[in-house]
Amino acid sequence: MLDIQNITKDYGPSRALHPVSVSVDKGEFITILGPSGCGKSTLLRILMGISRPSSGEIHLAGKRIDPLPPEARDIAMVFQSYALFPHMSVEKNLGFGLRMKRVDKAEQKRRIAHALEICNLTALSARMPRQLSGGQQQRVALARAIVMQPSLMLFDEPLSNLDAKLRDSLRAELVDLHRKVGATSLYVTHDQAEAMAMSDRILVMNGGRVVESGSPVDLYRRPKHAFTAGFLGLTNLVPVRAHGLQAALPWDGDPVLLTEERNGIARMALRPEAIRLEKAHHSPAEVTSTTFLGSNVLHLVKVAGMELKVTRSGTEPILEPGARVAIAIDGLQHLLVESDSVEAA
Amino acid sequence: MTALFNDRRLQLLLLLAPGVGYLLFFFGTPLFQALRESLVTDQGDFTLMWYQRAFSRPSMVRGLTTSLYYGLAPVFVSLALSVPLSVLIRQSFIGRKLFNGLYKLPLAVPSLIAALAVIILAEQGGFLDRVLAHVGLSLPKIVRDDAGLGVIFTSAWKQVPFMTLIITSAFAAIPEDLRLAARAFGASRLQTFLRVEVPLAMPGISAAVLLTFIGSMGSYAIPDLVGPPSARPLSVLMVEGFKNGKFHEVYAMGMILSAFAIAVLIAYYTLTHRIGPQAVTGDER
Repeated sequence: MLDIQNITKDYGPSRALHPVSVSVDKGEFITILGPSGCGKSTLLRILMGISRPSSGEIHLAGKRIDPLPPEARDIAMVFQSYALFPHMSVEKNLGFGLRMKRVDKAEQKRRIAHALEICNLTALSARMPRQLSGGQQQRVALARAIVMQPSLMLFDEPLSNLDAKLRDSLRAELVDLHRKVGATSLYVTHDQAEAMAMSDRILVMNGGRVVESGSPVDLYRRPKHAFTAGFLGLTNLVPVRAHGLQAALPWDGDPVLLTEERNGIARMALRPEAIRLEKAHHSPAEVTSTTFLGSNVLHLVKVAGMELKVTRSGTEPILEPGARVAIAIDGLQHLLVESDSVEAA
Repeated sequence: MTALFNDRRLQLLLLLAPGVGYLLFFFGTPLFQALRESLVTDQGDFTLMWYQRAFSRPSMVRGLTTSLYYGLAPVFVSLALSVPLSVLIRQSFIGRKLFNGLYKLPLAVPSLIAALAVIILAEQGGFLDRVLAHVGLSLPKIVRDDAGLGVIFTSAWKQVPFMTLIITSAFAAIPEDLRLAARAFGASRLQTFLRVEVPLAMPGISAAVLLTFIGSMGSYAIPDLVGPPSARPLSVLMVEGFKNGKFHEVYAMGMILSAFAIAVLIAYYTLTHRIGPQAVTGDER
């Protein structure tokens, strides 16, 4: 459906986007995840057509779109700022794109009514944007994109202006709507929880490059790069000595079992929830900090000159700072593939 | 005393006093004085004679229509120039900074100097006429001409930078995302401008139009120097009347001028309210 081929963007001598190639299938929900300045917004602006790529091509539904102006692309966008037209009612906002594309009036009415209904906005159709709450405005922005029935829907951090509770409920609504509408969607965010909860596939970006892509489960459990491991949730980067299907940890204890054979020095991304702690009075490992977070407890454990992050269920007994603990690692572990180019920036 | 200061209405009055009090004193008092003086005879008796004269004397009626003409025509010309100019200023081009400074120059030139410059440059036998004579052409009469083109041109020259400054700010205040949203939803550049930018900049455009209209309707130096001797606006007639000691008549003319200015403002507000954003976007209310 969407095929991005070797897109780059240069601003003078500096390169904002290194060659990026992505394919998105019809109906797929893909998220571009990365920190500020990673190039995700540049890629979005190029897709929208408000910025021209320095090289590369973009094909949408079999048609090359990168030389086309924004209005000639079959793309709708949901903005972080909502970008609702303040001088138009909710209904007129929804109809704006349809009027521009000269969609038949009866069809306009039908699509608007449908979008209002599925976004729970029917009762608010006559309201002006200033009369709506933040969450309602974002639902209007979403409905405005849905009425267009575009080949591609772009989302530019649409939930980041909302408070945490509203963000959670709208996130669920978005997933539900995507299931109902089935539009091919490209979602840009720096919020890893949002990316993991919503996406079929996540594209992790850093320093203008795609670090790696994969399903949320794959990227979380088996990241190839330290950047991905660190950006998607908490992690411990532990140097290990691998030998076949086993790896020795930098502290005394049983070797860790690996998912694939490796030999030599490598790094492992150990998730805090994969580490088990048990009280052991003569162990060299010591709890240095304990933070109660409700559903779980975060401990910092000092061992072999490192500080490990460990999470335990909130229902387990809380280990006080100073407690000596034995460390055990659950399940098979995965070693990182080191690559300077993606980690440096 | 403390109880007095706790009175809510008194508190509000005191809080409003610096703003409203200033307006009442410096604008209200002279206006009231002018109204009072326009309604009394030299002996101090009530009369409507001065108004009757103003509306029955042909020179006065002509003065009134000329004032309106000199008030409105330059505004239309300035608006037609200022809107494209404010769009141009937002674009990036070589020399933009210099252009941005240069176009504001007329703001610093007093009306009197502008009028004199137009006379020297554009009068028949003036600088431009003599330059054109070298190639066998002559300049049409645009200074002190019957249509008042010289006045309109000079007033517009003075107004364009002021209007452009306000309209540019109004366009600049529109969030970039709204332009992008319009484009992303299928609007061309022109459609985005007409359906999103102009309606949203309307408050700024209205303010610019009203301020320049009031300025040019009451202006004296430009119509006196560049305008035709046959049609003199009320402002010029008022100065002449003042010089001849016809104070009551001058006050009456001043009140009429103010009333017409207010009437035009009300009409303009009503019109822009009715053809506001909804009309521009093709939506019915």
